[in-house]
Amino acid sequence: MNALANAEVGKYLEKHFVCSFQRVATFRIVGKQKQGGNVATYFCAQDGRVLHVIPGPVDANTFLREAKWVVAAAEKGIETSKGDGAKFKTHMRKAHADKLRTAYGLAVEAITFDPPDPADNTGPLTYRDPTGRPLAPVLPPPPIDGPDVKFRHLQDAMAKTAGAFPVHDRKGGRWALDNQGRAHALLAAHSMSQIDRIYGSIFEGILGERITTRPVEVVNPFPWHGRKNAAVTN
Amino acid sequence: MRNNFRLAAAGLVVALCMPFAFSDETNGDQTTCGQYGTTVQFEKTPSDAAKRALKEEKLVCVLHVSGDFENPDFT
Repeated sequence: MNALANAEVGKYLEKHFVCSFQRVATFRIVGKQKQGGNVATYFCAQDGRVLHVIPGPVDANTFLREAKWVVAAAEKGIETSKGDGAKFKTHMRKAHADKLRTAYGLAVEAITFDPPDPADNTGPLTYRDPTGRPLAPVLPPPPIDGPDVKFRHLQDAMAKTAGAFPVHDRKGGRWALDNQGRAHALLAAHSMSQIDRIYGSIFEGILGERITTRPVEVVNPFPWHGRKNAAVTN
Repeated sequence: MRNNFRLAAAGLVVALCMPFAFSDETNGDQTTCGQYGTTVQFEKTPSDAAKRALKEEKLVCVLHVSGDFENPDFT
């Protein structure tokens, strides 16, 4: 863990990304108590469309691996799409589907067409939330076709991994994915959606934490870092 | 890499005709927010990060943090 304190992670992020943060209020009921505390890292295009997500805390190696993957996928997409946004979106979603197949042994069909969003409907019958914009919905991941024959061993290994979450394919077959695998599955259908549309699917759908507010800015997201340094200098 | 991200700016932002879509308010200044003991430089808001990313032809990385974040191992 503690990936953001790793020098190599810092160097790589500095080279390819500009970083920022927001606070999302969430909670989880454990027994009768509210508990919360999690993190999600979104890699986005400059217009706020999400290319990739790391749900939850990860170690430096995992963080770097995912960051490098998204940079490579974006570079290839830029090269092949030649400025066509629709082609780029298709490329990214197929890249997530391919990653799910080759790293987790599960096959999904990337969904490359987005139906009209009812939230965009400005007609007279559209309901408008008087409190402003609603919280992000939990978007459905694409249906899993089943295990890929060539990579079945990966799925067998994943089933034995701690923290693996059960998922079902179209025929009701039971398989397993960790949080990162579930993010790839989700993004095979929703990559290149705006960050404010997708965060609900990450926190509620994958991390299992109920969202109570929209993301807001915070003054200092890591107050303990200063405390630790101050203790050392004193 | 720089040429590729120049294409990204043209391809993703101009072709899609999308304005900045991060949901927070922009404050106009370009001051960086700091590192907070990490090795990562954070911009003040995602909108600021997006502006700088467009200028420097980079991608944007946004962290969403929640809850009782007292455990430094999370980040």
